[in-house]
Amino acid sequence: MDLNYTAEDVAFRKQVRTWLEHNMPRQIRNLDERKGWHRRLYEAGYLGMGWPREYGGQGARPMEQAIVADEMARAGAPAPTNGLGLGIVGPTIVVHGTDTQKRRYLRKILTAEEMWCQLYSEPNAGSDLAALRTRAEDKGDHFVVNGQKIWTSGGATADWGLLLARTDPAAPKHKGISCFLIDMRQPGMDVRPLKQITGSSEFCEVFMTNARVEKENQIGRLGEGWGIAQTTLGYERGGRALARITTYASQYNHLVAAARRLKRNGRPILDDAVARQKLGRIWADLEVERYGALRTLTMLERGEHPGAGGSITKLSYSEFEKRFMELAEEILGPYGQLTDGVPAEYRLEVDTAIGDHGTWAYAFLWSRAGTIYAGSSEIQKNVIGERILGLPKESRADRVGGPR
Amino acid sequence: MNFSFSEDQVLLKNSVRAALDEQCKPAHVRAMMDDATGYREALWGEMAKLGWLGLPFAEEQGGAGLGLVELCLVLEEMGRAAYPGPYFASVVLGGLGLQLGGSAAQKEKWLPAIASGQARASAALLEDALDWDPASTTATATKAGDGWRLSGVKRFVPWAHVADVVLVPARAPEGVSLFLVDPRAAGVTVTPMVGIDLANRWSEMRLGDVAVPADALVGSPGGAGSVLDALLRRAAVGASAEMLGAARRCLEMSVGYVKVREQFGQLIGSFQAIRHRCAEMLLEVENSHSAVYYAAWALTAGAEDAAMAASVCKSYVSESARKVCGDAIQVHGGIGFTWEYDLHLYFKRAKALEPLYGDAAHHRELIVRGQVSHSNK
Repeated sequence: MDLNYTAEDVAFRKQVRTWLEHNMPRQIRNLDERKGWHRRLYEAGYLGMGWPREYGGQGARPMEQAIVADEMARAGAPAPTNGLGLGIVGPTIVVHGTDTQKRRYLRKILTAEEMWCQLYSEPNAGSDLAALRTRAEDKGDHFVVNGQKIWTSGGATADWGLLLARTDPAAPKHKGISCFLIDMRQPGMDVRPLKQITGSSEFCEVFMTNARVEKENQIGRLGEGWGIAQTTLGYERGGRALARITTYASQYNHLVAAARRLKRNGRPILDDAVARQKLGRIWADLEVERYGALRTLTMLERGEHPGAGGSITKLSYSEFEKRFMELAEEILGPYGQLTDGVPAEYRLEVDTAIGDHGTWAYAFLWSRAGTIYAGSSEIQKNVIGERILGLPKESRADRVGGPR
Repeated sequence: MNFSFSEDQVLLKNSVRAALDEQCKPAHVRAMMDDATGYREALWGEMAKLGWLGLPFAEEQGGAGLGLVELCLVLEEMGRAAYPGPYFASVVLGGLGLQLGGSAAQKEKWLPAIASGQARASAALLEDALDWDPASTTATATKAGDGWRLSGVKRFVPWAHVADVVLVPARAPEGVSLFLVDPRAAGVTVTPMVGIDLANRWSEMRLGDVAVPADALVGSPGGAGSVLDALLRRAAVGASAEMLGAARRCLEMSVGYVKVREQFGQLIGSFQAIRHRCAEMLLEVENSHSAVYYAAWALTAGAEDAAMAASVCKSYVSESARKVCGDAIQVHGGIGFTWEYDLHLYFKRAKALEPLYGDAAHHRELIVRGQVSHSNK
């Protein structure tokens, strides 16, 4: 057990830091500028780092990936674009795609020449994703797709989508699903922004009417889509493990500074015993998340996959983030709710989920998403209970079997 | 960067587990709860033979020269077994206290004796007001000839009734100082304080003008503060390791129980209300593991954030162990509330350690103080 970084990692971190100092843009005003920044990150070797070299990756170690993300968070660097392409679609193609698919798609994800989204959730298939109803009918040389997807992040800018659709309605629920790459720029695709409680629209709804998928764009075999989706959802490879904590720590320091300035009963909130207790608790929780990230990275460096253990990590940090943001709101009062006209002292100048400089209000509202997306906290607890603790499965109507 | 145990550390953990599984079964714990001294010399001698009693001491003092990570591995297993005996008192409180502040002669005299099991040590860190800040010490030390005379009342002194030497802070004209006191010396009265964890013994220690020689002073007069701060950090992390072990045992028992207990015609582990609670318990146990071993490493390595890590650890584990052990009783239902069922042994061990060496509130305040002074720099 040695929690010091190796000399090699320290040197690499320094190199990344220097690069960021020289190359980080002051401001990003539109998607084209973000794509330009994305491209510079790629050319420097900082995107798709863990992907195989023959497809544009670096074959880098998990720790190097974590360090790049961490240094970007530390510098408040804008995020690259094509997040779903980098985080979900690319790794899925790396693992499950054919060589032709890998050559065709991977490099263009890294260069952001082609933008991607993920077409998984449906209005009636959220936590119960396998209940999805979008149909893909085999027409001999291609598939025809009909159905509706929701919670498609980046749907409005995507050129391509990673799609889960039902190919065999007669098969048991989890067996009749297949996985495809679908062209988003075709007449049968209708993409509508979904306005969230944040007021922004990072997500879309996608309506597919007789949309076409070529045969060569099927990923894996027919009926294997559920298994592919399960691995896809598990692609939290620890890449953002440290960066997440660094962002929290930066936000926390902003909060302490605000608590020094704001007053309660005639004295700074920072001198208030109750507030100090709450701040101390959140810092302890934050540090425990950091230690957990180091454990995850240790596993990844040894070539082990956290598996269902990833559910513990995700449950822990997403629930922490909500507690943290609730405290921030408590200390900041109405300042914490401002989306515009925020005095400089109460701005939150760190990169938020969409890569923009944000407000506490946005970060607070966004914290409600983390315990729902990519498997809600309740689903994570089911996974932990069943797969780690080996608890008996609950009796569920859909486990009785039978076609849908 | 490597947050996993070495092969040697895993071997140590396994051997401690095997020894305690064999010699510290719940029946042994229960027998010791009713025992006058509260522990067995046989197991104590075995622990000496296995090298546990000298684990953190230098090899020339009969120790194994290991760090806090290894010590915490042992303590975690002891919590898991609700081990009854003066291990923590002797090795952590007395032993590490002497290692941190003792002179060469004091270490030479006591550490080999502690390591061999011939002597048992402890430390008297609490008084009536329960303040962990060494500066609040009210017991007094006055110069008398070459030596000193000590007066005052110490409370919750672990295993003082079997100790050969106790580290006692007392206020001298120069400030708070640390002394070695023989609890059987004239003027010392040791009275049992019986808590809910009967496998863990406390005493009140009254010092009525007790004469101690000049060489009983540990460090310099007025110099106890830094030694006690360092000792308290190690004790806080060590106690957290023991609480982690107790919590892990409570989780294991709960998971085992809900896989066999049926209600409404189904195994209760299949109900989400139970399963989710068990998942939360595992989350807390895993996070506590991170907190304990990070802090143990940081203190051993002298990392910059070692003091913070100790406070992070004790504040986190004090609450997580409370939740996990409490939830264990809840998922067991009625049987978890019976004396006959073993769950309360571990529940009580975690509870007993929760306020010691600073509770969650104490350490949260230390965390914020650390941050405020850091950001003022």
